[in-house]
Amino acid sequence: MKRLYLLLFLPLLMVGCKGEKKLARYNEMYQQEPTVIYVAPLNDLSMRRAVRETVDSVYNASLNIASRQLYLTATDPLASHGYYVLGPLASAQIAATETRTGRQLRNDNINDLHTDLGIDAVLFIDLINWSHTSNSWSVEAEYVLRSTVTGVELLHVHVNATKILPTDYNGNPKPLKDDLEFAKQYGCDLETAQRCRLVEIMNQYVLKDLPAGKRARKHEAEQYAKPHPEYFNLRIHRDGSVERLKDEEL
Amino acid sequence: MTEQAMRARHINIILLAAVLLLAACSGRYIGTPRVAMLDYQTNGTYGSLYALATAHAESINAAVKADTLHPGMYAEYGVALALMGHDGEACRMLNSEVKAFPESRRMVRRIKERLLPAMVDDTLAGRRDTADMLKLQNWAYDSLAALQHLPWVAAVIDSTDTVRVMMQTPVDSVEYPIRLTANQKRELLLEEQHREELRRKEVEDSIAAAKQAKIDAREQAKADKKKAKKEKEKAKKEADKQKKLAAKEKARQREQEKQRRAEERKAKKQGKEAAE
Repeated sequence: MKRLYLLLFLPLLMVGCKGEKKLARYNEMYQQEPTVIYVAPLNDLSMRRAVRETVDSVYNASLNIASRQLYLTATDPLASHGYYVLGPLASAQIAATETRTGRQLRNDNINDLHTDLGIDAVLFIDLINWSHTSNSWSVEAEYVLRSTVTGVELLHVHVNATKILPTDYNGNPKPLKDDLEFAKQYGCDLETAQRCRLVEIMNQYVLKDLPAGKRARKHEAEQYAKPHPEYFNLRIHRDGSVERLKDEEL
Repeated sequence: MTEQAMRARHINIILLAAVLLLAACSGRYIGTPRVAMLDYQTNGTYGSLYALATAHAESINAAVKADTLHPGMYAEYGVALALMGHDGEACRMLNSEVKAFPESRRMVRRIKERLLPAMVDDTLAGRRDTADMLKLQNWAYDSLAALQHLPWVAAVIDSTDTVRVMMQTPVDSVEYPIRLTANQKRELLLEEQHREELRRKEVEDSIAAAKQAKIDAREQAKADKKKAKKEKEKAKKEADKQKKLAAKEKARQREQEKQRRAEERKAKKQGKEAAE
Protein backbone atom coordinates (compact mmCIF):
# COMPACT_ATOMS: atom_id res chain seq x y z
CA MET A 1 0.00 0.00 0.00
CA LYS A 2 2.85 2.35 0.88
CA ARG A 3 4.37 1.71 -2.49
CA LEU A 4 1.12 2.56 -4.20
CA TYR A 5 0.93 5.87 -2.33
CA LEU A 6 4.51 6.58 -3.24
CA LEU A 7 3.83 5.83 -6.87
CA LEU A 8 0.81 8.13 -6.80
CA PHE A 9 2.41 11.04 -4.99
CA LEU A 10 5.83 11.03 -6.56
CA PRO A 11 4.69 12.25 -10.02
CA LEU A 12 2.49 14.88 -8.35
CA LEU A 13 5.45 16.04 -6.33
CA MET A 14 7.57 16.25 -9.47
CA VAL A 15 4.90 18.24 -11.30
CA GLY A 16 4.63 20.59 -8.33
CA CYS A 17 8.35 21.24 -8.42
CA LYS A 18 8.19 22.43 -12.00
CA GLY A 19 8.81 26.17 -12.44
CA GLU A 20 6.30 28.82 -13.28
CA LYS A 21 5.04 28.61 -16.84
CA LYS A 22 5.75 31.38 -19.30
CA LEU A 23 2.09 31.81 -20.13
CA ALA A 24 1.23 32.37 -16.46
CA ARG A 25 4.21 34.58 -15.78
CA TYR A 26 3.59 36.91 -18.72
CA ASN A 27 -0.18 36.64 -18.61
CA GLU A 28 -0.70 40.42 -18.55
CA MET A 29 1.81 40.88 -21.33
CA TYR A 30 0.04 38.39 -23.57
CA GLN A 31 -3.23 40.17 -22.87
CA GLN A 32 -2.02 43.72 -23.48
CA GLU A 33 0.48 43.04 -26.28
CA PRO A 34 2.65 46.15 -25.83
CA THR A 35 4.60 47.31 -28.87
CA VAL A 36 6.47 50.41 -27.79
CA ILE A 37 8.59 50.15 -24.65
CA TYR A 38 10.41 53.09 -23.12
CA VAL A 39 13.35 52.43 -20.83
CA ALA A 40 13.23 54.96 -18.00
CA PRO A 41 16.53 56.38 -16.71
CA LEU A 42 18.34 54.07 -14.34
CA ASN A 43 17.56 54.48 -10.66
CA ASP A 44 20.98 53.92 -9.13
CA LEU A 45 20.50 53.24 -5.44
CA SER A 46 23.94 51.70 -5.08
CA MET A 47 25.80 54.97 -5.51
CA ARG A 48 24.64 56.48 -2.24
CA ARG A 49 25.98 53.51 -0.34
CA ALA A 50 29.20 53.48 -2.31
CA VAL A 51 29.85 57.18 -1.72
CA ARG A 52 29.11 56.87 1.97
CA GLU A 53 31.28 53.87 2.49
CA THR A 54 34.23 54.84 0.38
CA VAL A 55 35.80 57.96 -1.01
CA ASP A 56 37.72 56.05 -3.63
CA SER A 57 37.02 58.02 -6.80
CA VAL A 58 38.39 55.30 -9.10
CA TYR A 59 36.06 52.77 -7.51
CA ASN A 60 33.12 55.12 -7.91
CA ALA A 61 34.02 55.85 -11.54
CA SER A 62 34.13 52.12 -12.21
CA LEU A 63 30.67 51.71 -10.70
CA ASN A 64 29.42 54.65 -12.73
CA ILE A 65 30.59 53.15 -15.99
CA ALA A 66 29.08 49.76 -15.13
CA SER A 67 25.73 51.28 -14.17
CA ARG A 68 25.70 53.22 -17.44
CA GLN A 69 26.39 49.99 -19.26
CA LEU A 70 23.41 48.42 -17.46
CA TYR A 71 21.16 51.15 -18.84
CA LEU A 72 22.68 51.12 -22.33
CA THR A 73 22.36 47.37 -22.84
CA ALA A 74 18.79 47.08 -21.52
CA THR A 75 17.34 48.05 -24.90
CA ASP A 76 19.01 45.25 -26.88
CA PRO A 77 17.03 42.25 -25.57
CA LEU A 78 13.78 44.22 -25.94
CA ALA A 79 14.57 45.15 -29.54
CA SER A 80 15.60 41.62 -30.39
CA HIS A 81 12.28 40.34 -29.02
CA GLY A 82 10.43 42.51 -31.54
CA TYR A 83 9.46 45.50 -29.40
CA TYR A 84 9.94 49.05 -30.55
CA VAL A 85 12.39 50.65 -28.14
CA LEU A 86 14.27 53.90 -28.57
CA GLY A 87 18.02 53.94 -28.03
CA PRO A 88 19.58 55.50 -24.94
CA LEU A 89 20.47 58.81 -26.58
CA ALA A 90 16.94 59.40 -27.87
CA SER A 91 15.41 58.10 -24.64
CA ALA A 92 17.46 60.64 -22.74
CA GLN A 93 15.78 63.40 -24.77
CA ILE A 94 12.36 62.01 -23.87
CA ALA A 95 13.42 61.74 -20.22
CA ALA A 96 14.59 65.36 -20.25
CA THR A 97 11.08 66.52 -21.11
CA GLU A 98 9.58 64.50 -18.25
CA THR A 99 8.78 66.54 -15.15
CA ARG A 100 7.85 63.67 -12.84
CA THR A 101 10.36 61.88 -10.66
CA GLY A 102 11.18 58.20 -11.05
CA ARG A 103 9.08 57.34 -8.00
CA GLN A 104 6.07 59.22 -9.39
CA LEU A 105 6.44 57.50 -12.75
CA ARG A 106 6.57 54.18 -10.97
CA ASN A 107 3.48 54.72 -8.80
CA ASP A 108 1.25 57.36 -10.39
CA ASN A 109 -0.98 57.24 -13.41
CA ILE A 110 1.21 57.30 -16.53
CA ASN A 111 -1.51 57.00 -19.10
CA ASP A 112 -0.41 60.31 -20.64
CA LEU A 113 2.75 58.59 -21.88
CA HIS A 114 0.48 56.36 -23.95
CA THR A 115 -1.74 59.14 -25.24
CA ASP A 116 1.01 61.72 -25.86
CA LEU A 117 3.96 59.59 -26.93
CA GLY A 118 2.43 56.27 -27.95
CA ILE A 119 4.41 54.36 -25.31
CA ASP A 120 2.74 51.09 -24.26
CA ALA A 121 5.00 50.13 -21.36
CA VAL A 122 7.87 51.60 -19.34
CA LEU A 123 10.79 49.56 -18.08
CA PHE A 124 12.18 50.74 -14.74
CA ILE A 125 15.52 49.39 -13.57
CA ASP A 126 16.71 49.87 -10.02
CA LEU A 127 20.35 49.14 -9.38
CA ILE A 128 20.33 48.24 -5.70
CA ASN A 129 23.76 47.08 -4.69
CA TRP A 130 27.21 46.07 -5.86
CA SER A 131 29.37 43.63 -3.96
CA HIS A 132 32.49 41.62 -4.64
CA THR A 133 34.82 39.08 -3.13
CA SER A 134 38.28 38.04 -4.26
CA ASN A 135 36.98 36.06 -7.21
CA SER A 136 33.37 37.10 -7.68
CA TRP A 137 31.33 40.15 -8.66
CA SER A 138 27.71 40.56 -7.64
CA VAL A 139 25.01 43.00 -8.56
CA GLU A 140 21.50 43.29 -7.18
CA ALA A 141 18.84 44.89 -9.35
CA GLU A 142 15.12 45.11 -9.82
CA TYR A 143 13.31 45.22 -13.16
CA VAL A 144 9.75 46.46 -13.41
CA LEU A 145 7.85 46.70 -16.67
CA ARG A 146 4.73 48.77 -16.14
CA SER A 147 1.89 49.21 -18.60
CA THR A 148 0.97 52.79 -19.43
CA VAL A 149 -2.52 51.74 -20.49
CA THR A 150 -3.69 49.92 -17.38
CA GLY A 151 -0.89 50.75 -14.95
CA VAL A 152 -0.35 47.12 -13.98
CA GLU A 153 3.08 45.53 -13.73
CA LEU A 154 3.73 43.32 -16.72
CA LEU A 155 7.02 42.06 -15.31
CA HIS A 156 8.61 42.35 -11.89
CA VAL A 157 11.96 40.69 -11.34
CA HIS A 158 14.36 41.06 -8.45
CA VAL A 159 17.70 39.63 -9.45
CA ASN A 160 20.99 39.07 -7.70
CA ALA A 161 23.55 38.20 -10.33
CA THR A 162 26.98 36.90 -9.43
CA LYS A 163 29.94 36.35 -11.66
CA ILE A 164 32.43 33.82 -10.33
CA LEU A 165 35.84 33.96 -11.91
CA PRO A 166 38.00 30.85 -12.24
CA THR A 167 41.09 30.87 -10.02
CA ASP A 168 44.62 29.66 -10.63
CA TYR A 169 46.63 27.36 -8.33
CA ASN A 170 47.45 30.24 -6.02
CA GLY A 171 43.80 31.17 -5.65
CA ASN A 172 44.09 34.35 -7.71
CA PRO A 173 41.20 35.07 -10.12
CA LYS A 174 41.88 34.53 -13.79
CA PRO A 175 40.45 37.10 -16.22
CA LEU A 176 37.90 35.90 -18.75
CA LYS A 177 38.40 36.33 -22.48
CA ASP A 178 35.24 38.43 -22.91
CA ASP A 179 36.27 40.79 -20.14
CA LEU A 180 39.70 41.25 -21.64
CA GLU A 181 38.17 41.97 -25.04
CA PHE A 182 35.76 44.47 -23.55
CA ALA A 183 38.56 46.19 -21.63
CA LYS A 184 40.57 46.38 -24.84
CA GLN A 185 37.65 47.70 -26.87
CA TYR A 186 36.64 50.35 -24.42
CA GLY A 187 40.09 51.09 -23.05
CA CYS A 188 39.06 50.63 -19.42
CA ASP A 189 40.49 48.61 -16.57
CA LEU A 190 39.67 44.94 -16.09
CA GLU A 191 37.47 45.45 -13.02
CA THR A 192 35.21 47.85 -14.88
CA ALA A 193 35.06 45.46 -17.82
CA GLN A 194 34.09 42.59 -15.53
CA ARG A 195 31.28 44.63 -13.99
CA CYS A 196 30.09 45.85 -17.40
CA ARG A 197 29.95 42.35 -18.81
CA LEU A 198 28.11 41.15 -15.71
CA VAL A 199 25.31 43.72 -16.05
CA GLU A 200 25.11 43.11 -19.80
CA ILE A 201 24.58 39.39 -19.28
CA MET A 202 22.15 40.08 -16.44
CA ASN A 203 20.03 42.19 -18.80
CA GLN A 204 20.02 39.46 -21.40
CA TYR A 205 19.10 36.82 -18.82
CA VAL A 206 16.28 38.76 -17.16
CA LEU A 207 14.65 39.81 -20.44
CA LYS A 208 15.31 36.63 -22.40
CA ASP A 209 11.91 35.01 -21.83
CA LEU A 210 9.73 37.93 -22.87
CA PRO A 211 6.93 37.02 -25.29
CA ALA A 212 7.68 37.95 -28.89
CA GLY A 213 6.59 41.45 -29.85
CA LYS A 214 4.82 42.52 -33.02
CA ARG A 215 8.05 43.24 -34.86
CA ALA A 216 9.65 39.91 -34.04
CA ARG A 217 10.93 38.11 -37.07
CA LYS A 218 9.57 34.68 -37.70
CA HIS A 219 12.86 32.87 -37.53
CA GLU A 220 11.41 29.41 -38.07
CA ALA A 221 9.35 30.50 -41.03
CA GLU A 222 12.35 32.22 -42.59
CA GLN A 223 14.56 29.28 -41.88
CA TYR A 224 12.44 26.63 -43.50
CA ALA A 225 10.71 28.57 -46.24
CA LYS A 226 12.31 29.14 -49.61
CA PRO A 227 15.08 31.67 -49.05
CA HIS A 228 14.93 35.24 -50.19
CA PRO A 229 16.59 35.69 -53.59
CA GLU A 230 19.19 37.98 -52.04
CA TYR A 231 20.09 35.49 -49.33
CA PHE A 232 22.63 32.74 -49.70
CA ASN A 233 24.22 30.08 -47.54
CA LEU A 234 27.87 29.27 -47.14
CA ARG A 235 29.53 25.99 -46.28
CA ILE A 236 32.96 26.36 -44.69
CA HIS A 237 35.24 23.39 -45.14
CA ARG A 238 37.97 22.20 -42.82
CA ASP A 239 40.69 23.33 -45.16
CA GLY A 240 39.37 26.88 -44.96
CA SER A 241 37.72 26.97 -48.37
CA VAL A 242 34.27 28.48 -48.63
CA GLU A 243 31.56 27.11 -50.86
CA ARG A 244 28.47 29.04 -51.77
CA LEU A 245 25.36 26.85 -51.79
CA LYS A 246 22.64 27.18 -54.35
CA ASP A 247 18.98 27.46 -53.50
CA GLU A 248 18.30 23.84 -54.40
CA GLU A 249 20.86 22.57 -51.90
CA LEU A 250 19.42 24.51 -49.00
CA MET B 1 58.39 74.86 -54.87
CA THR B 2 60.07 77.26 -52.48
CA GLU B 3 61.97 76.20 -49.39
CA GLN B 4 59.32 77.72 -47.11
CA ALA B 5 56.53 75.79 -48.79
CA MET B 6 58.53 72.57 -48.57
CA ARG B 7 59.06 73.13 -44.84
CA ALA B 8 55.36 73.80 -44.31
CA ARG B 9 54.52 70.58 -46.14
CA HIS B 10 56.98 68.61 -43.99
CA ILE B 11 55.43 70.04 -40.84
CA ASN B 12 51.96 69.05 -42.07
CA ILE B 13 53.10 65.48 -42.74
CA ILE B 14 54.78 65.27 -39.31
CA LEU B 15 51.60 66.57 -37.63
CA LEU B 16 49.43 64.05 -39.47
CA ALA B 17 51.77 61.23 -38.51
CA ALA B 18 51.74 62.36 -34.88
CA VAL B 19 47.94 62.41 -34.81
CA LEU B 20 47.78 58.93 -36.35
CA LEU B 21 50.38 57.67 -33.87
CA LEU B 22 48.45 59.10 -30.94
CA ALA B 23 45.23 57.57 -32.20
CA ALA B 24 46.92 54.19 -32.54
CA CYS B 25 48.49 54.41 -29.08
CA SER B 26 45.22 55.16 -27.32
CA GLY B 27 44.26 51.47 -27.64
CA ARG B 28 40.59 52.39 -27.86
CA TYR B 29 38.56 51.21 -30.79
CA ILE B 30 35.32 53.11 -31.07
CA GLY B 31 33.74 51.07 -33.80
CA THR B 32 30.42 49.84 -32.49
CA PRO B 33 27.73 52.28 -31.35
CA ARG B 34 27.59 50.66 -27.91
CA VAL B 35 31.25 51.29 -27.09
CA ALA B 36 31.00 54.77 -28.57
CA MET B 37 27.87 55.43 -26.55
CA LEU B 38 29.53 54.37 -23.33
CA ASP B 39 32.47 56.58 -24.21
CA TYR B 40 30.16 59.53 -24.85
CA GLN B 41 28.20 58.92 -21.64
CA THR B 42 31.43 58.85 -19.65
CA ASN B 43 33.33 61.69 -21.27
CA GLY B 44 30.62 63.75 -22.99
CA THR B 45 33.05 65.46 -25.36
CA TYR B 46 32.41 66.58 -28.93
CA GLY B 47 34.95 64.02 -30.13
CA SER B 48 33.12 61.18 -28.46
CA LEU B 49 29.83 62.46 -29.90
CA TYR B 50 31.39 62.58 -33.36
CA ALA B 51 32.66 59.02 -32.89
CA LEU B 52 29.19 57.95 -31.78
CA ALA B 53 27.56 59.53 -34.84
CA THR B 54 30.12 57.87 -37.13
CA ALA B 55 29.53 54.50 -35.49
CA HIS B 56 25.78 54.91 -35.89
CA ALA B 57 26.15 55.86 -39.56
CA GLU B 58 28.28 52.79 -40.22
CA SER B 59 25.90 50.48 -38.39
CA ILE B 60 22.90 51.93 -40.25
CA ASN B 61 24.63 51.39 -43.59
CA ALA B 62 25.43 47.80 -42.67
CA ALA B 63 21.92 47.17 -41.33
CA VAL B 64 20.23 48.57 -44.44
CA LYS B 65 22.39 46.34 -46.64
CA ALA B 66 21.65 43.24 -44.55
CA ASP B 67 17.97 44.13 -43.98
CA THR B 68 18.43 44.02 -40.21
CA LEU B 69 17.43 47.55 -39.31
CA HIS B 70 16.68 47.78 -35.59
CA PRO B 71 14.19 50.19 -34.09
CA GLY B 72 15.76 53.41 -32.92
CA MET B 73 18.86 53.32 -35.12
CA TYR B 74 17.87 56.30 -37.23
CA ALA B 75 16.63 58.15 -34.15
CA GLU B 76 19.93 57.68 -32.32
CA TYR B 77 21.88 58.91 -35.32
CA GLY B 78 19.47 61.83 -35.74
CA VAL B 79 19.80 62.88 -32.10
CA ALA B 80 23.60 62.64 -32.31
CA LEU B 81 23.57 64.84 -35.43
CA ALA B 82 21.20 67.30 -33.78
CA LEU B 83 23.48 67.56 -30.75
CA MET B 84 26.35 68.24 -33.15
CA GLY B 85 24.37 71.00 -34.83
CA HIS B 86 23.60 69.37 -38.19
CA ASP B 87 19.91 70.19 -38.01
CA GLY B 88 18.86 69.42 -41.59
CA GLU B 89 20.45 65.99 -41.68
CA ALA B 90 19.21 65.26 -38.15
CA CYS B 91 15.66 66.10 -39.21
CA ARG B 92 16.01 63.81 -42.21
CA MET B 93 17.22 60.94 -40.04
CA LEU B 94 14.46 61.40 -37.47
CA ASN B 95 11.92 61.39 -40.28
CA SER B 96 13.50 58.22 -41.64
CA GLU B 97 12.86 56.63 -38.25
CA VAL B 98 9.19 57.60 -38.53
CA LYS B 99 9.08 56.24 -42.05
CA ALA B 100 10.65 52.92 -41.05
CA PHE B 101 8.78 52.57 -37.75
CA PRO B 102 5.49 54.52 -37.79
CA GLU B 103 4.85 53.86 -34.10
CA SER B 104 7.74 56.19 -33.25
CA ARG B 105 6.01 59.24 -34.73
CA ARG B 106 4.92 60.86 -31.48
CA MET B 107 8.17 60.20 -29.68
CA VAL B 108 10.16 61.62 -32.59
CA ARG B 109 7.91 64.65 -32.53
CA ARG B 110 8.71 65.15 -28.84
CA ILE B 111 12.45 64.83 -29.57
CA LYS B 112 12.11 67.39 -32.34
CA GLU B 113 10.25 69.75 -30.06
CA ARG B 114 13.24 69.62 -27.78
CA LEU B 115 16.14 69.58 -30.23
CA LEU B 116 14.79 70.94 -33.52
CA PRO B 117 11.83 73.17 -32.65
CA ALA B 118 11.90 74.82 -36.07
CA MET B 119 11.41 71.50 -37.82
CA VAL B 120 8.60 69.98 -35.80
CA ASP B 121 6.15 70.28 -38.65
CA ASP B 122 8.46 68.64 -41.19
CA THR B 123 6.90 65.28 -40.77
CA LEU B 124 8.40 63.95 -43.96
CA ALA B 125 12.07 63.88 -44.72
CA GLY B 126 13.64 65.77 -47.55
CA ARG B 127 17.09 66.84 -48.50
CA ARG B 128 15.91 70.43 -48.28
CA ASP B 129 15.80 72.69 -45.28
CA THR B 130 12.78 74.11 -43.57
CA ALA B 131 13.11 77.36 -45.48
CA ASP B 132 12.79 75.48 -48.75
CA MET B 133 9.85 73.57 -47.38
CA LEU B 134 8.09 76.75 -46.40
CA LYS B 135 8.79 78.26 -49.81
CA LEU B 136 7.33 75.21 -51.48
CA GLN B 137 4.31 75.24 -49.22
CA ASN B 138 3.72 78.88 -50.01
CA TRP B 139 4.14 78.21 -53.69
CA ALA B 140 1.70 75.33 -53.54
CA TYR B 141 -0.75 77.43 -51.58
CA ASP B 142 -0.54 80.39 -53.94
CA SER B 143 -0.63 78.44 -57.16
CA LEU B 144 -3.13 75.74 -56.34
CA ALA B 145 -5.32 76.97 -53.51
CA ALA B 146 -6.04 80.19 -55.34
CA LEU B 147 -6.96 78.32 -58.49
CA GLN B 148 -8.98 75.52 -56.99
CA HIS B 149 -10.46 77.44 -54.03
CA LEU B 150 -9.37 74.81 -51.55
CA PRO B 151 -9.35 75.42 -47.80
CA TRP B 152 -5.68 74.61 -47.56
CA VAL B 153 -2.98 72.81 -49.48
CA ALA B 154 0.27 71.39 -48.20
CA ALA B 155 3.30 70.50 -50.24
CA VAL B 156 5.67 67.94 -48.88
CA ILE B 157 9.02 66.76 -50.13
CA ASP B 158 9.64 63.09 -49.65
CA SER B 159 12.96 61.28 -49.43
CA THR B 160 13.29 61.09 -53.21
CA ASP B 161 13.05 64.88 -53.48
CA THR B 162 9.75 64.79 -55.31
CA VAL B 163 7.13 67.28 -54.38
CA ARG B 164 3.76 65.90 -53.43
CA VAL B 165 0.82 68.17 -53.02
CA MET B 166 -1.80 66.96 -50.61
CA MET B 167 -5.19 68.54 -50.60
CA GLN B 168 -7.42 68.70 -47.55
CA THR B 169 -5.33 65.99 -45.92
CA PRO B 170 -3.61 66.68 -42.61
CA VAL B 171 0.08 65.93 -42.93
CA ASP B 172 0.02 63.80 -39.78
CA SER B 173 -2.56 61.43 -41.17
CA VAL B 174 -0.48 60.38 -44.16
CA GLU B 175 0.44 56.72 -43.93
CA TYR B 176 3.96 55.77 -44.89
CA PRO B 177 5.00 52.35 -46.08
CA ILE B 178 6.29 50.32 -43.18
CA ARG B 179 9.51 48.38 -43.32
CA LEU B 180 9.02 44.94 -44.81
CA THR B 181 10.68 41.84 -43.49
CA ALA B 182 12.26 39.37 -45.86
CA ASN B 183 9.28 37.11 -45.37
CA GLN B 184 6.83 39.84 -46.28
CA LYS B 185 8.93 40.79 -49.29
CA ARG B 186 8.89 37.21 -50.47
CA GLU B 187 5.15 36.99 -49.91
CA LEU B 188 4.67 40.15 -51.95
CA LEU B 189 6.86 38.72 -54.70
CA LEU B 190 4.86 35.50 -54.71
CA GLU B 191 1.63 37.45 -54.70
CA GLU B 192 2.82 39.51 -57.67
CA GLN B 193 3.83 36.33 -59.52
CA HIS B 194 0.46 34.81 -58.74
CA ARG B 195 -1.29 37.92 -59.97
CA GLU B 196 0.79 37.86 -63.17
CA GLU B 197 -0.10 34.21 -63.66
CA LEU B 198 -3.77 35.00 -63.18
CA ARG B 199 -3.52 37.88 -65.65
CA ARG B 200 -1.85 35.64 -68.25
CA LYS B 201 -4.44 32.95 -67.67
CA GLU B 202 -7.19 35.49 -68.07
CA VAL B 203 -5.81 36.63 -71.44
CA GLU B 204 -5.42 33.02 -72.60
CA ASP B 205 -8.92 32.23 -71.43
CA SER B 206 -10.34 35.22 -73.28
CA ILE B 207 -8.58 34.16 -76.52
CA ALA B 208 -9.83 30.60 -76.13
CA ALA B 209 -13.30 31.88 -75.32
CA ALA B 210 -13.31 34.03 -78.49
CA LYS B 211 -12.26 31.02 -80.60
CA GLN B 212 -14.87 28.86 -78.99
CA ALA B 213 -17.49 31.54 -79.54
CA LYS B 214 -16.61 31.63 -83.24
CA ILE B 215 -16.90 27.86 -83.52
CA ASP B 216 -20.13 27.89 -81.58
CA ALA B 217 -21.56 30.60 -83.80
CA ARG B 218 -20.66 28.61 -86.92
CA GLU B 219 -22.23 25.46 -85.51
CA GLN B 220 -25.25 27.39 -84.43
CA ALA B 221 -25.63 28.81 -87.91
CA LYS B 222 -25.41 25.32 -89.36
CA ALA B 223 -27.91 23.99 -86.90
CA ASP B 224 -30.22 26.91 -87.61
CA LYS B 225 -30.00 26.23 -91.34
CA LYS B 226 -30.73 22.57 -90.82
CA LYS B 227 -33.62 23.41 -88.60
CA ALA B 228 -35.01 25.86 -91.09
CA LYS B 229 -34.73 23.27 -93.82
CA LYS B 230 -36.48 20.72 -91.68
CA GLU B 231 -39.20 23.16 -90.85
CA LYS B 232 -39.63 24.01 -94.49
CA GLU B 233 -39.94 20.34 -95.37
CA LYS B 234 -42.34 19.84 -92.55
CA ALA B 235 -44.40 22.79 -93.71
CA LYS B 236 -44.36 21.41 -97.22
CA LYS B 237 -45.50 18.05 -96.02
CA GLU B 238 -48.19 19.69 -93.98
CA ALA B 239 -49.31 21.67 -97.01
CA ASP B 240 -49.39 18.52 -99.12
CA LYS B 241 -51.36 16.78 -96.43
CA GLN B 242 -53.78 19.66 -96.26
CA LYS B 243 -54.08 19.62 -100.03
CA LYS B 244 -54.75 15.92 -100.04
CA LEU B 245 -57.30 16.27 -97.30
CA ALA B 246 -58.95 19.12 -99.20
CA ALA B 247 -59.02 16.98 -102.34
CA LYS B 248 -60.49 14.09 -100.40
CA GLU B 249 -63.09 16.39 -98.88
CA LYS B 250 -63.91 17.72 -102.28
CA ALA B 251 -64.25 14.19 -103.67
CA ARG B 252 -66.46 13.22 -100.76
CA GLN B 253 -68.64 16.30 -101.30
CA ARG B 254 -68.84 15.53 -105.02
CA GLU B 255 -69.85 11.96 -104.20
CA GLN B 256 -72.48 13.20 -101.79
CA GLU B 257 -73.77 15.64 -104.41
CA LYS B 258 -73.87 12.79 -106.88
CA GLN B 259 -75.82 10.60 -104.48
CA ARG B 260 -78.17 13.45 -103.63
CA ARG B 261 -78.85 14.08 -107.34
CA ALA B 262 -79.36 10.37 -107.98
CA GLU B 263 -81.80 10.22 -105.11
CA GLU B 264 -83.61 13.28 -106.42
CA ARG B 265 -83.72 11.80 -109.83
CA LYS B 266 -85.00 8.56 -108.39
CA ALA B 267 -87.62 10.38 -106.34
CA LYS B 268 -88.70 12.35 -109.38
CA LYS B 269 -88.96 9.19 -111.39
CA GLN B 270 -90.97 7.49 -108.69
CA GLY B 271 -93.25 10.54 -108.48
CA LYS B 272 -93.74 10.51 -112.21
CA GLU B 273 -94.49 6.86 -112.20
CA ALA B 274 -97.01 7.31 -109.41
CA ALA B 275 -98.65 10.14 -111.31
CA GLU B 276 -98.85 8.11 -114.38
